[in-house]
Amino acid sequence: MTTTMTNLAARAAGASKIYGSGDTEVRALDDVTVAFERGRFSAIMGPSGSGKSTLMHCLAGLDDLTSGSVYIGDTELGSLSENDLTLLRRTSVGFVFQAFNLIPTLTARENMVLPMTLAGTKPDEAWVDQIVTTVNLADRMDHRPSELSGGQQQRVAVARALASQPDIIFADEPTGNLDSRSGAEILNFMRNAVDDLGQTIVMVTHDPVAAAYSDRVVVLADGKIVDEILEPTADTVFDKLKALGD
Amino acid sequence: MLRHTLRSITSNKARFLLTTLVVVLGVTFVVASFALADSLRDTFGQLSADVNEGIDVQIQAIDEFDVAGQTGNNLPVPASVLDDVRQLDGVNNAAGGIFFFSTFPIDGQGRSPGGQDLSTAVNFSGVQSLDKLVVLAGEAPVGPDQFALSPAAFEEFDFEIGNRYAIESTATGRYEMELVGEIRFGLEDDASLGGILVTFDNETAQLVSGYEDSYQLIGVEGEPGVDPEQLVADIQAILPDGIEAITGQQAEEDFSESFEVFIGPFQTVLLVFAFIVLFVSTFIINNTFNIILGQRVRELGMLRALGATGRQVRGSVVGEALIVGIAATALGIGLGLLGALGLKAILEAFVGDFPSAGVPLRLRTIIWAVGLGVGFTVLASLLPAWKASRIPPIAALREEISIGSRSSRARTIFGVVLAIVGIAAAVGGLTGSGGVQATLSLLGFGAAVIFLAVAILAPLFAGPVVSFLAAPLPKLFGTPGAIARENARRSPRRTAATAIALTIGLALVTLVTVVAASLKQSVNDTLESAVAGDFVIFADGGNGIPPALADELRTLDELDAVVRERFETVRFNGEITDLEGSTMELIEEVVRIDVVEGSTAAGDPARRVAISTEYAEEAQLGVGDFVPIEFAEGGMADLEVVAIYADDTWYGDRFLDIAVLDEFGSNRADGDFLLSLAEGVTVEVARPAIEAALGDSPLAGLRTREEAIGEFQGFIDIILTMATIFLGFALLIAIIGIVNTLTLSVIERTREIGLLRAVGMTRRQSRKMIRWEAVAIALFGAVLGIILGMIFGFAIVEAVPDDFIGTLVVPWVRIVFFLVAAVLLGMVAAFLPARRASKMNVLEAIAHE
Ligand SMILES: Nc1ncnc2c1ncn2[C@@H]1O[C@H](COP(=O)(O)OP(=O)(O)OP(=O)(O)O)[C@@H](O)[C@H]1O
Ligand SMILES: [Mg+2]
Repeated sequence: MTTTMTNLAARAAGASKIYGSGDTEVRALDDVTVAFERGRFSAIMGPSGSGKSTLMHCLAGLDDLTSGSVYIGDTELGSLSENDLTLLRRTSVGFVFQAFNLIPTLTARENMVLPMTLAGTKPDEAWVDQIVTTVNLADRMDHRPSELSGGQQQRVAVARALASQPDIIFADEPTGNLDSRSGAEILNFMRNAVDDLGQTIVMVTHDPVAAAYSDRVVVLADGKIVDEILEPTADTVFDKLKALGD
Repeated sequence: MLRHTLRSITSNKARFLLTTLVVVLGVTFVVASFALADSLRDTFGQLSADVNEGIDVQIQAIDEFDVAGQTGNNLPVPASVLDDVRQLDGVNNAAGGIFFFSTFPIDGQGRSPGGQDLSTAVNFSGVQSLDKLVVLAGEAPVGPDQFALSPAAFEEFDFEIGNRYAIESTATGRYEMELVGEIRFGLEDDASLGGILVTFDNETAQLVSGYEDSYQLIGVEGEPGVDPEQLVADIQAILPDGIEAITGQQAEEDFSESFEVFIGPFQTVLLVFAFIVLFVSTFIINNTFNIILGQRVRELGMLRALGATGRQVRGSVVGEALIVGIAATALGIGLGLLGALGLKAILEAFVGDFPSAGVPLRLRTIIWAVGLGVGFTVLASLLPAWKASRIPPIAALREEISIGSRSSRARTIFGVVLAIVGIAAAVGGLTGSGGVQATLSLLGFGAAVIFLAVAILAPLFAGPVVSFLAAPLPKLFGTPGAIARENARRSPRRTAATAIALTIGLALVTLVTVVAASLKQSVNDTLESAVAGDFVIFADGGNGIPPALADELRTLDELDAVVRERFETVRFNGEITDLEGSTMELIEEVVRIDVVEGSTAAGDPARRVAISTEYAEEAQLGVGDFVPIEFAEGGMADLEVVAIYADDTWYGDRFLDIAVLDEFGSNRADGDFLLSLAEGVTVEVARPAIEAALGDSPLAGLRTREEAIGEFQGFIDIILTMATIFLGFALLIAIIGIVNTLTLSVIERTREIGLLRAVGMTRRQSRKMIRWEAVAIALFGAVLGIILGMIFGFAIVEAVPDDFIGTLVVPWVRIVFFLVAAVLLGMVAAFLPARRASKMNVLEAIAHE
């Protein structure tokens, strides 16, 4: 599926995003340049309103930049039409949101293969089964979302993001609504997906413990990248953030 | 709380507009029906006042057979009465009057007023205060060789005073006279409503109209100061049997009232459609309120938590309905008046200008409009309001939100009970012995209750049925199709409530279609099997054919038989009934009839009758027996039964020889002629010969048998089309209902649609998803409606006597067309909601709420 030559799954170059104008102008992203390598689990952190979601949305082709450019693989998103962006999301990008990840009228399995059925392509059954087993949901796959717990729903969402074997998965506070045990399950699962399956994941989080599961933490403040932590632990992340707050 | 209500309305303008629109349509209909009917009433009231002005007493013949006031016999009053009344003390002046419809002058270019124009023979009595005829040019006609015309004739046709013209009378045939003057009806202004008056002197008018030595009525002007009541009594004392005197006041009222015969039904038909539209609207409004409240549960819970009482919440919902109802009613009244003006303009194009400008808006009209418009809207909001008031404050905090509703068991029981009541009412109406009015009222009530029952029960089966109907969607349209199917069945109650408007509309359309198709087939069967003649001549002048024309036709070698036909209201064997007369000895040439005993050619033509075997049995009559018959004018005879025939003919149970009617009857014109061709003569050869014999008579219209049958069917088609157009308004409302629901659903599912778009649904796919959901809902409504309509249609065809509708025809082609139309309607309805869904900003959608 991937024909890209570079080792980068996604990157932003000089990306700025400005909301409003004049007095009400908000610089959600201010000349951000950042890259996410293949096969790595990255986290984006920063205070509320620092531009984490905005960065993620722009990288994923859900939103457009005021200036600068973003790439998924080698594809520059700014030049794509709305329709092309949709098709790109379908095949190359996976999503996990904080909540409301599933279509209530579809079963867990249908939700899981949704991007592929929308594209009219046959899901790889063996691959799907493997994921289902990994997320430990085999017996829940024919249930509707309303019959699943919040943690189970998030697992289905992650399974969906993996099922289409996208170039990159974006997760915006995927554990934000979960207790620590369910959260840990999801994070373990994502970690395994990167280690065992070679996935690329970018996750926004507020939680230093969650961030500790990643390979690298990018810290945002006021729309700028202010720091980067490699091989983070909960403590190092906590300290950095604390320093930022002071 | 009122502030909250207003805020709720202004913050949802689109929804408010859509809800209002359906009520506006209904109110428009109500107001237009009343205003137009009132305008007609005013017009004829004015005419009536003009005609009867200055008349203190009117003398007329009593028609005891005129039970329904519809025979229009206008029995003659002997001219001698006029002389006697003139001698009476207290009488200042008196004049005889003749108004004989369908007397047509033929102009210089061979044109004449057609059947729609009123062209009436009147007599110039010489008493201007009574007949209100004013000579404008030339002179008043005198003697059998002169006539005059009203201004309308000079305006629309090519007539010139001093020339000679032909005149056709339905009663007595063709004349040629000199046009001597222009005469207007109305002392100050033309009061003839654009109709054409053909004026003669007294004796000539009697001759032309067939009122020998008599008048249709006599107007009397009393001496100044004489009490009309006293005058009536004095005059009545010298009148012969069968003649009565009434006050001018009474005459004016009777005259106005006689127009109610067509104004009343006209108004009723329009009101029925108005009611249907409002009835359908109620479901839409109710559904809209339900959905909106469902979406506002948390908000209302919050209000309750902040201290609003259940009553206040209820008041807020009903208040919103009240405002919607009032706004819609006001708009509907305005549009209704415009609609009435439009319809009036159309009518005027056909029958000439009405005297009154504009259309009247009576208090009664406003009361109805407000009552129905506001009433239906508020009614539709009561249940949702009650539910809303029961939302607990805790709902504000709950994650899962749902609006309370009655258990499905209570619902089922209630629905089934309603269904039984509705079916009982409908069956009672169909099998009952009540009049047409009672039957239709019961049927209408039954249908309304059945629809209500269906609306209540539909959610129970909407899910599975929609699943079934929408089963091909996933195959045909992939994931968008699959999601559309799921969406259509995820809330059976909403789907059912949305579809029910379409169900009602299509049920009525289907019903009308089935009945019309069956009626057409029955008419066709009857005519095909009963009529053997090759040609029919209809009374195109509107009021009959002169019998003399039959004599002309009988001279043609191309024709074998010319049979005259005409109805008369008589008392036959003790029973007042309409009886058909025909040329009995020739009957077997033109009508398929199976005479089992006797012969239609036997006996004295002026004293004979034929009866069916069934009637023979019922009345215990045989060939050679005599049956008494009495006529409105007092004639009496005993008719000999000369033939008994097998049942099921053109004539029903009995018919008599037209010679009997010629001798005793009051109608002077024939209804139609049936012709058969001589051996070896083709239709093509005969046609020009017959046309030549008929001359340029505007009264007689020649048709072949096939043309006549086609004409009947065309007529039924016109009525069918008109009914379908009116019912189309109900369908329009159904579309608005679907638009409404889908729009609200799209708003409700904003996050879901955003998610779908995020994971790769294209805009096109999202439009497809909404479109096919709409189609699934529409198809559900349509299938349900068509099934109900067919059942209703079958029931009616079954219940109507077989000699009227005998064959049941299912118009499959049309029904398939309805289904296709429903699919298209669904697509049209989906247009805006689908656009809304596809234009949704993905980010905002995800962030929604
Ligand atoms: N649609 C918008 N219009 C105007 N300003 C916006 C919009 N979306 C975001 N912003 C602003 O842009 C800035 C960045 O927002 P963003 O949602 O990216 O923050 P975040 O880091 O994700 O915060 P949080 O941790 O609370 O989710 C904020 O100041 C926010 O108010
Ligand atoms: Mg955020």
